[in-house]
Amino acid sequence: MIWLAATLLLPLAMLFACLSQTLRYRMSNWLSVAAVPGLGAALFAPEASLDLPPFLLRLRLSLDLPSAILLGVAALLWIAAGVYAAAWLRDDPRRGRIAEWWLLTLTGSLGVFMAADLVSFYLLFSMVSLAAYGLIIEGRAADAQKVGLIYVALAVFGEALLLMAFVMLAQSGSASGPGDGLLIRDAVAALAVSPWRNAILALIIGGFGVKLGMVPFHVWMPITYRTAPIPAAAALSGAAVKAGAIGLLRFLPLGLALPDWGNVLTTLGFISAFYAVLIGVTQTNPRMVLAFSSISQMGVIAAVFGMGLGAPNADLALIVAFYAAHHTLVKGGLFLGVGLAPLSGPRRTWLVLVPAAIMGLGLAGLPLTGGALAKLAIKPVLGDGWAGTLGILSSLATALLMTHFLFRLAALPEAVAPNALHGRLRWSWLMIAAASVVVPWALYLMVMSGSVAYALSPASLWASLWPVVVGATLAAGLRPWGSRLPRVPDGDIVMLVAARVARVAGRTAAALEWLDGALRQWPVAVLSLLAISAILAALMLVRV
Amino acid sequence: MIAPAALLVLAIILPAAGVVLALAAGGRGAERVAMAVIAGGAAIALAIAGTLWSTGAPLSYIIGGWAPPLGIALRADGLSAFMLLTSALVIGAIGLFARATYVQPAGTPERRAPLVFWIMLMGVWTGLNAVWLAGDLFSLYVALELLTFSAVPLVSLEGKPETLAAALRYMLFALIGSILYLLGCALLYGGYGTLDIVLLSRLARPEPVVFVALALMTAGLAAKTALFPLHLWLPPAHAGAPAAASALLSALVVKGSFILMVRLWFDSLPGIAGDGAAQFMAALGSAAIIVGSVLALRQERLKLMIAYSTVAQIGYLFFLFPLAGAAGDWERLAWTGGIMQLVAHAVAKAAMFMAAGLIGEALGHDRIAGFAGLGRALPVVMFAFGLAGMSLMGLPPSGGFVAKAMLLTASIGEGQWWWAVVIMIGGLLAAGYMFRVLTPALAGGAAPVILAARISRPRQAIVLGLAICALLLGLMPLRPSALLEVGRTTQAAEVR
Repeated sequence: MIWLAATLLLPLAMLFACLSQTLRYRMSNWLSVAAVPGLGAALFAPEASLDLPPFLLRLRLSLDLPSAILLGVAALLWIAAGVYAAAWLRDDPRRGRIAEWWLLTLTGSLGVFMAADLVSFYLLFSMVSLAAYGLIIEGRAADAQKVGLIYVALAVFGEALLLMAFVMLAQSGSASGPGDGLLIRDAVAALAVSPWRNAILALIIGGFGVKLGMVPFHVWMPITYRTAPIPAAAALSGAAVKAGAIGLLRFLPLGLALPDWGNVLTTLGFISAFYAVLIGVTQTNPRMVLAFSSISQMGVIAAVFGMGLGAPNADLALIVAFYAAHHTLVKGGLFLGVGLAPLSGPRRTWLVLVPAAIMGLGLAGLPLTGGALAKLAIKPVLGDGWAGTLGILSSLATALLMTHFLFRLAALPEAVAPNALHGRLRWSWLMIAAASVVVPWALYLMVMSGSVAYALSPASLWASLWPVVVGATLAAGLRPWGSRLPRVPDGDIVMLVAARVARVAGRTAAALEWLDGALRQWPVAVLSLLAISAILAALMLVRV
Repeated sequence: MIAPAALLVLAIILPAAGVVLALAAGGRGAERVAMAVIAGGAAIALAIAGTLWSTGAPLSYIIGGWAPPLGIALRADGLSAFMLLTSALVIGAIGLFARATYVQPAGTPERRAPLVFWIMLMGVWTGLNAVWLAGDLFSLYVALELLTFSAVPLVSLEGKPETLAAALRYMLFALIGSILYLLGCALLYGGYGTLDIVLLSRLARPEPVVFVALALMTAGLAAKTALFPLHLWLPPAHAGAPAAASALLSALVVKGSFILMVRLWFDSLPGIAGDGAAQFMAALGSAAIIVGSVLALRQERLKLMIAYSTVAQIGYLFFLFPLAGAAGDWERLAWTGGIMQLVAHAVAKAAMFMAAGLIGEALGHDRIAGFAGLGRALPVVMFAFGLAGMSLMGLPPSGGFVAKAMLLTASIGEGQWWWAVVIMIGGLLAAGYMFRVLTPALAGGAAPVILAARISRPRQAIVLGLAICALLLGLMPLRPSALLEVGRTTQAAEVR
């Protein structure tokens, strides 16, 4: 109980302390502390529940096993990224502001795993989505502001879809009116009989799809991860994005068999999974490659959810949480590696590239890594049919993309003035690299009750090894042609479409501006006044 | 001990007395009178709301013991209590904020602007409180005129030619609206021999004379509320006025005529207008939201952007007519949601206009393109601006979120999903125009911002305090408010 409260209250208290200018500039040294209660909650209170004093809003926080896993690894990543940030931001004049946005994002990111009622979920979800905006615009890239606007436009759009979905859910969930304090569990249970089930599901998939970077709502992801300061990009790509995963986990009616919706979600997921790899291999900036890999991995998660939606599976939530947990550690960790590589001097190969290879290829299921276990976990859900085949192909595609990433990471130019930073960055990087293997194994054995014999059986090893080998070979083969691959403009093809949409929107807005000017002429305004009274009278008369 | 019902008279008399006293006291005394009135007015508003809260029954006061239809009655229901509290809060903040601008330092010649400002501030308050409390349509008309005529000088307080033109524009259009309203009053009086709200609600039948009267009055009031497409006067008036006056005009003055419309549709002539007319009103509101927001997105000056945002935010209020008018389970929620939108917008918009005023003072201009790095130069002001913006965008936790969530729920619940779509689009567009300001202010500009003037801390604190109030409104439970419904159900029951 106390852990749950502290998970939210400690970062908020630290944020409050930032009101003092002196403390604000020192806060970047203490960011890692803010996430410690979250880790404690996952370890010591994985089944706890806490009702906030019901004097105004009735909010409830609670954890179950899947959400505790997600919370725990997210907190771990926030801690590591916090240690990293302390060194990274040491003399940065932006550190005060970054610390504030960091704490706000962190509160939302960890809180969203614990929210059990609709209102607090929406509140915390908005917090993690919108506060991230502050971290993005603090980037040094020249176009950081534009990127921030694109991000916020999509985030707010996703939230609008979700708000609509929640409002409709609330109505299905309580006959007496929406009220507050409606638990997500009860609202989703009522989905079985809701007349708006299809609309709600579409809104939920759309809304969380934006957060998960599902194609075509993924455009925000590559550009933001390219722009945000490295430690922030790590936390966002690993932990914050999982707000979408917990969203699907909480709000999809996984107990109902809805094969049509399951197929839709699985298809959408695999489209993301492969599309992102196609675009990703044309990218040269390792951060962009990682972002596309995130889109691809979130696609796999969506596909797994889709399969679970089609055929109820009691363990689905746990399996997805396990898969997502591995991604949290790896993706966040790799971003830390990208920051470290140019600073690591001659030791880059051993210090950065080898751990990065283990983590990156782990995403594709490299044997003995946490990723192999994650792939093992989702295998029965995807089954042996088309989804299973696509699942294997996506491992192969991931191996291809991550090998490409390693080449790009190795090719990063050395920093002009390698400073003394890397000594302190190194520990958080190595810690998260180790955690990406140790934590999944621990979870596999203790929580998933998996068997070592099965995981290490030759069949399992072979099944996870060959896609990695083939994918890596393909990437190596592709490398000489790297410069001849079509260059996809920054971000993505979708950006071109977006530019066209923006032009049309601009013309519409200009037309509305003209209309406004015309309506604000005296004769027109007086005529409209008379017309309005006539229309009102006519409407009242007609009714009788 | 004052009898609770007498408080209703006091709520109107106190600011009116303030106007007279300020005239007598002259420039240097006016401010002190206004401060005393603000303190007293807040206490009265709290006392009335407290009485309603504890008794759960509306208050009424028959002036001079002459019962309607001969005499005049003042009535306070839950809606009045909400509005009294909101105006006390917002006017209090504006008064404290304006002290720095409208001082008459001892030993300097008296200026015109301070005296006019303080007198008109109390004049507006008198008008507003009278609108919240008046029990018959003619007193409401008088109150509304008082409101308009106090508001017009505030627009042209600086005496520049363009603000004078804006003020005249405002007054002329408001007068046309008044004529229509008065015409409607005459028709109703001719038909039923009374303008008392309660009596009228018992007598009025759905017949042509009532329809014509209601249509004329509604259109006239819509002109004063600046409902799209009758908003020609609002952008120049609200953007041209000094910050404190803009805040007052945008936050409260336009709401006066809106509440009168509510009194007309829901209290005097309940169920007369019918669904077609209600849908039409909401359709105009939707057009206001879309066009106002898009125009806000395209403004280059901050105050004009905020003024267009007011055009848009007023649009949401008109969802009250189809949603709270329909019989059904959701109308209670729509009622609370619609009024919450009014309250939340009043608080947030006042804070935003005052923040814009401080930005303008500090920079010497209010061009959005020149805001790079402002977040570092004026952190508290930008923070307050952002908080107020959260409420306008409808992000949680804020009053705007609570209001929009309730309106959304009600529109879905009543099967009128199209209004929900408009609310969503409006939220997106609002995010667009807010972030257009916030992004350069928060990020950009490595170069230090040169401020033309220093802004004193207390003024920043007042703006921040009001913005935090907009945020705290977000703690309202998402259910019909008991206080707001005081007097409403009994009245409805009487009618039915």
